[in-house]
Amino acid sequence: MLIDIQNLYKIYNEGQESEVRALDGVSLQIDRGEFVAIVGASGSGKSTMMNVLGCLDVPTRGRYNLNGTDVTSLKDKDLARIRNREIGFIFQGYNLLQDLNALDNVILPLIYRGTSIFEREELAMAALARVGMDGRAHHRPSQMSGGQQQRVAIARAIATHPPIIMADEPTGALDSKTGRHVLSILQQLYREGTTILLITHDDGIAATAPRVVRLSDGKIISDAHQEVDWL
Amino acid sequence: MNLMQAFKMAFKSIASKKMRSFLTMLGIIIGVASVVIMVSVVQGMNKLSLQYLEAQGENKIQVYAYQYYGSSGNISDLLYEYCLGMQDLVLGVTPQVEVWQDITIKYGAKTFNTQNWDDWSKRLTIKLGSDQFGVCNNYTLGGGRELSFLDVEKTNQVCVLGGGAKEILFDFVDPVGETIFINSQPFLVVGWYEATGLEGMSDMDNVVLLPYTFNRTLNNNQDINDYVVKARSATDTTLAIARLKAFLGGFITPGENGYYNVYSNNDWSNQVQEQSLMQSLVLGAIAGISLLVGGIGIMNIMLVTVTERTREIGIRKAIGAERKSIIVQFLIEAAVICGIGGLIGILLGCMGALIAGKFLLQGMILWPSSVITVGAFTFSVVLGVLFGLYPAIKASSLQPVDALRAE
Repeated sequence: MLIDIQNLYKIYNEGQESEVRALDGVSLQIDRGEFVAIVGASGSGKSTMMNVLGCLDVPTRGRYNLNGTDVTSLKDKDLARIRNREIGFIFQGYNLLQDLNALDNVILPLIYRGTSIFEREELAMAALARVGMDGRAHHRPSQMSGGQQQRVAIARAIATHPPIIMADEPTGALDSKTGRHVLSILQQLYREGTTILLITHDDGIAATAPRVVRLSDGKIISDAHQEVDWL
Repeated sequence: MNLMQAFKMAFKSIASKKMRSFLTMLGIIIGVASVVIMVSVVQGMNKLSLQYLEAQGENKIQVYAYQYYGSSGNISDLLYEYCLGMQDLVLGVTPQVEVWQDITIKYGAKTFNTQNWDDWSKRLTIKLGSDQFGVCNNYTLGGGRELSFLDVEKTNQVCVLGGGAKEILFDFVDPVGETIFINSQPFLVVGWYEATGLEGMSDMDNVVLLPYTFNRTLNNNQDINDYVVKARSATDTTLAIARLKAFLGGFITPGENGYYNVYSNNDWSNQVQEQSLMQSLVLGAIAGISLLVGGIGIMNIMLVTVTERTREIGIRKAIGAERKSIIVQFLIEAAVICGIGGLIGILLGCMGALIAGKFLLQGMILWPSSVITVGAFTFSVVLGVLFGLYPAIKASSLQPVDALRAE
């Protein structure tokens, strides 16, 4: 079991009138090499789910085992290590550093990983080539289209070859054609054995995932496997 | 993440916001520049004093004794005799009188008045002394001879020129054997002293020395109150001062029937050095306050920067930056800003010191000491680290998700 959460809660302003239960006793298991779409309306808790699963946020209560390790008891240093080596993030707003060009953005996780200076550029260029952005390595984010920026962000996510990719509405800001391109890159990664977590509110995109988990009001309301055309 | 990379990132971040980085540095620049200038000026001033003292030679004792009008006995003559009597301790003794009357000095077509203050560097002074004047004041004879015992005894109309006076009157011609006219009386130049070469201190060089027996005719026969005694060694200086004080104390009760003072320039130079340290410390502390204000400016800007870059911090954390990396990044940025500010400040300080030297210290070339320069630079970098610490810790302690949510 790669991801195993039991009775997970994320509660804001607990005990007050304004209490919000973003995650309300969620349990979920995801195996290595799965492609899971987490679907829900806005406010359903799906983004909170990804933040907690990606160690970007801490749950209020509950157990979270990642790859057999109890994540809730880890210190900042180990969490940083997990975010760096185990998980690659793709955000709706790309979240590239505007002052750095594409190559430097992709190199950044390699720097934090401690990869030697001689390998970094090569690895980053390889990652850029995988998403077809090696020709734009020295462009800044502001000189690229949204689709191109998202591809650079994917390159950054896969630069350290993490076993898990978490994508939060990766196509949300893109037109449908570029969106399909981005999805096809994720599908390719899945075929190569990467575990993919895709967070979306779009049923059309959810329909492309072999497993769909639906959230509503912080609770899982359905969890189903389905046939997809691209496999 | 290694340090090289951190420095590179810091430079990039600073370069991308040039104006703000410069304004941040301004406090440090002004602080460091003022430290460098102030301390340089103090050190320059004291260097001038020490050079002046050095030119006068060590173990020089100045004796001043004055009796109120109507007191019994002539302390002036007695003092001179007593000084001459200390043969075991002294190399020379001379009365030392500067003539303050307006006297005309003429050579060829050139005429000078001793009370002409229009051009300090060209003002000539008439001094009266004995045959030991040169020894007592550390002059080196450049040509001809000193005054002799006979010149003094017979009130011969002869003179010895200081290096500056020689140049003013004779340019570079050998003056020995020439005649100058002092208040229309002919005086034979018998010798001249080498110039001391002190910048901006002309009073030792622009001197015409006459036998002290001219006190009668040129100085209204006023009492001679000042003597210079040149002791053989530092120990002898201390001994001679003790003896002179005891001797003078036997005649004069200060404030009652006169005054006296005996001091050596050995004491004086110690005093100057002590004073120099004190002044440097006080002025350095004042300038240090402006550095502190500059440091608070750094902290302020770094806090703004942290707020502005919260999202960037979130992104960095999301892709694997540890708290430590974020702290180091912000600390290095603060230190680099302060370091660059410090360098610019030192540069401006050096320029300011040169300008201050030119206008305040008679064209002296002031170079800030390396201790001050290195110290000011180190201090500014340390300031950067100290005042960058709080913003850096604040930046690093954010949860990645909270940081990412910031706009």
